[in-house]
Amino acid sequence: MTDTTQIAPHSGQWDTVIHQFKQTGQVLAALVLIYGIFFVLSPPFRSIDTFLSIFTQASILAVLASGTTVVLISGGLDLSVGSIFAVVGVVVGILLVEWQVPVIVAIIAGLATGAFCGALNGFVQVTTKVPAFIVTLGGLTAYKGVAELLGSGRDLSRFPESYQMLGSGYVMPISIMFGAALLIGLFLTRTQLGNHAYAIGGNEEVARLSGVNVARSRIKYYMIGGLMAGLAAILEVSKLNFAQSSRGQSYELFAIAAVVIGGTSLFGGRGGVGKTIIGMLIIQTIYVGLAYLGVGTSIQRIAIGLIIILAVWWDVWQRGTR
Amino acid sequence: MGEMTQGVPVLEARGITKHFGGVTALDDVDLELRQGEILAIVGDNGAGKSTLIKAITGAMSRDGGTVFFDGQEVQVETPSDAKDIGIETVYQDLALVNELSITKNIFLGREIRRDDFLGHWFGALDFRRMENEVRDLFQRLDIRITDIYRDAQAFSGGQRQAVALSKTVMFGKRVAILDEPTAALGVRERKAAMKMVTSLKEFGLSVIMITHNMDHVLNYCDRVQIMRLGRRIAVRDVSEVDGDSLVGLITGAIDANEVRA
Repeated sequence: MTDTTQIAPHSGQWDTVIHQFKQTGQVLAALVLIYGIFFVLSPPFRSIDTFLSIFTQASILAVLASGTTVVLISGGLDLSVGSIFAVVGVVVGILLVEWQVPVIVAIIAGLATGAFCGALNGFVQVTTKVPAFIVTLGGLTAYKGVAELLGSGRDLSRFPESYQMLGSGYVMPISIMFGAALLIGLFLTRTQLGNHAYAIGGNEEVARLSGVNVARSRIKYYMIGGLMAGLAAILEVSKLNFAQSSRGQSYELFAIAAVVIGGTSLFGGRGGVGKTIIGMLIIQTIYVGLAYLGVGTSIQRIAIGLIIILAVWWDVWQRGTR
Repeated sequence: MGEMTQGVPVLEARGITKHFGGVTALDDVDLELRQGEILAIVGDNGAGKSTLIKAITGAMSRDGGTVFFDGQEVQVETPSDAKDIGIETVYQDLALVNELSITKNIFLGREIRRDDFLGHWFGALDFRRMENEVRDLFQRLDIRITDIYRDAQAFSGGQRQAVALSKTVMFGKRVAILDEPTAALGVRERKAAMKMVTSLKEFGLSVIMITHNMDHVLNYCDRVQIMRLGRRIAVRDVSEVDGDSLVGLITGAIDANEVRA
């Protein structure tokens, strides 16, 4: 038994900080280890360009996954973010190419579209009480249809220079990734609504009895999930310099994989966005590393699949031994 | 209890009724809580004790009945409504979120926001103020938990119950309602918890406590309301009853001729 009275005031704060760093540190150590393995095995992998390209390749999905982190912490699930991604891409494309609106207007409209689609998922889920898995599975198909309707027969490419800058090169995508993660991190740890995500994901009934408006909060978490899907789409459309309704397919699964590999609980109540970013970097490092070793994409997919299971197993095992 | 406590009840419920499908869980149940007393609610499993307090505190919708606070009719439809008028409830097994720190648990739903644009626009929280208030509270209540940053999960049953009870002092300006506050505790922890329940009176709270422990009723409570099969069977001054008569009333072996107060 530890005597809590022996601990000096405020040392507890450091306990918590150290504990969090420990958890994040484990995932970070895994990332460094995996990077190290490829570094040893493949000489061309050792270049700084490769290092940076891992970050840029991770950036778009990491932005998407940072929103997914919020939804999963709150005990929700959104399978439709890949399709929301497609809708936003097409909307932004139409606005830029056909309507020729200013870039900033297109970006704001794209973010708003993503947020709206996410909020609609949340609204349908909390009002119908149909499980999130089903509602957003419906959303996955439905939003895909919307994207196809809007995008069919349109050539959405060759965007203004200023728009293309967003997603190209190293600096912009990487800064946007870390900026988005920082904002989501501050939201989760420093704000009332963010703290309620942990409370609702941890024990929805206690949160409700404590006076938290669970339904309204949930809608907002889905809205943030949609918003980040929108931001990711804006980045990708800019990077590729074209928009297509087929983009974003199975991105939701990559996002969930990154969240889980990072160590956020699939059952809600625990986790953080920093872990998700590291999780996405792990996925990209494995993809890039295996490609350098000449391993085909099919094997890459199998490897990622195994890593997901391994990550959750590690989490379960740790919980059991604590 | 003296004659001074015989005024208008601080909390009163009239004709509370609740159906679950075809089953009548609460059948026209009344309840009066006097200023400054500890009122025990006893009864077998399924007597409707927890349902009654959930129906009164807005945790559950009700099919009939009226709630009065200080003699005034009040609308209590959600848990927040009850909290707003100064009724704080500790529900059984639903007191704390394991994943949140002690501080965040105590302030859950009523967090203190920063007094600047970050607080007003983004709901940024003032952790320093909340932590200071929790430390003050724990000092007043003699709760020896200093690592208030740690997740609730890390604490023992007794410590968790102390934290849950402390919320009633922090926010329950008038009434604390406790659903089996000692059910999950060991023998020593029970005693500490009951000492704390008694001390709630010193903080100006009137207390309703659901319990299965007859010793706790006889040693710590002022009056006892006995329920059976969704009905109020009797109300007694604790000085009028003993363990045997209480058990008799609960099981129906003793007939409660009239409901006395």
